[in-house]
Amino acid sequence: MIKIQKEDFNSEEEIKKIKDLYLNAGAITSFTGYVRENNNNKKVQSIYLEVYEQMAYKQFKKIISEAYLKWNLLDCLIIHRCGKLNVNSKIVLVACFSKHRKDSFESCNFIMDYLKKDAPFWKNEFYDKKYEWLVNSN
Amino acid sequence: MKIKYFAWIKEITNNEEEDINSIKINNLDKLKDFIITKYPDLKKHLDKEILRFAVNQEYVVKNIDLNPNDEIAVFPPVSGG
Repeated sequence: MIKIQKEDFNSEEEIKKIKDLYLNAGAITSFTGYVRENNNNKKVQSIYLEVYEQMAYKQFKKIISEAYLKWNLLDCLIIHRCGKLNVNSKIVLVACFSKHRKDSFESCNFIMDYLKKDAPFWKNEFYDKKYEWLVNSN
Repeated sequence: MKIKYFAWIKEITNNEEEDINSIKINNLDKLKDFIITKYPDLKKHLDKEILRFAVNQEYVVKNIDLNPNDEIAVFPPVSGG
């Protein structure tokens, strides 16, 4: 399942909704990304996350399909937020569901690596009086 | 064709999107020439290979033919996640 939304979400509920569909899922690996208070030695007030939504959906579908080919997965969940986000807000949740842990661990890492490198989102970070567009370095 | 600009690129173009109807712009290289002529401040970013291009929501690195119904996006390196 893929969701791109402005609203916050409850990770546990979102994961449970999918988990309940798979009684055979013995492993779930999830990653949650948050807005940090400090970045590049600057105090962050908030960020604005811009998205090319149509492309993001298309690219997420593609990467999930690739993950299914590489690992034995039951399901994948990606929720990525957009718009204005304050410090300590959730940015992204990726959760991978499988029978065994290796598949869920590795696929979750794979999806996050892709997401940081290629998913069409851009962070505009706001400080006290300035702002700065960021580039992912890792 | 429709051209979309994202993040700080649109601060240079002062424009989020525009329609281009020219039969002369029939591949990506010609489109690149068009945008750096129209927005000269983009040239240095193109030269440094900072600009990314997507055609119909797929990344494109090499020159490809473009069709009138294509949607082309021009954007900087991403920073999601």
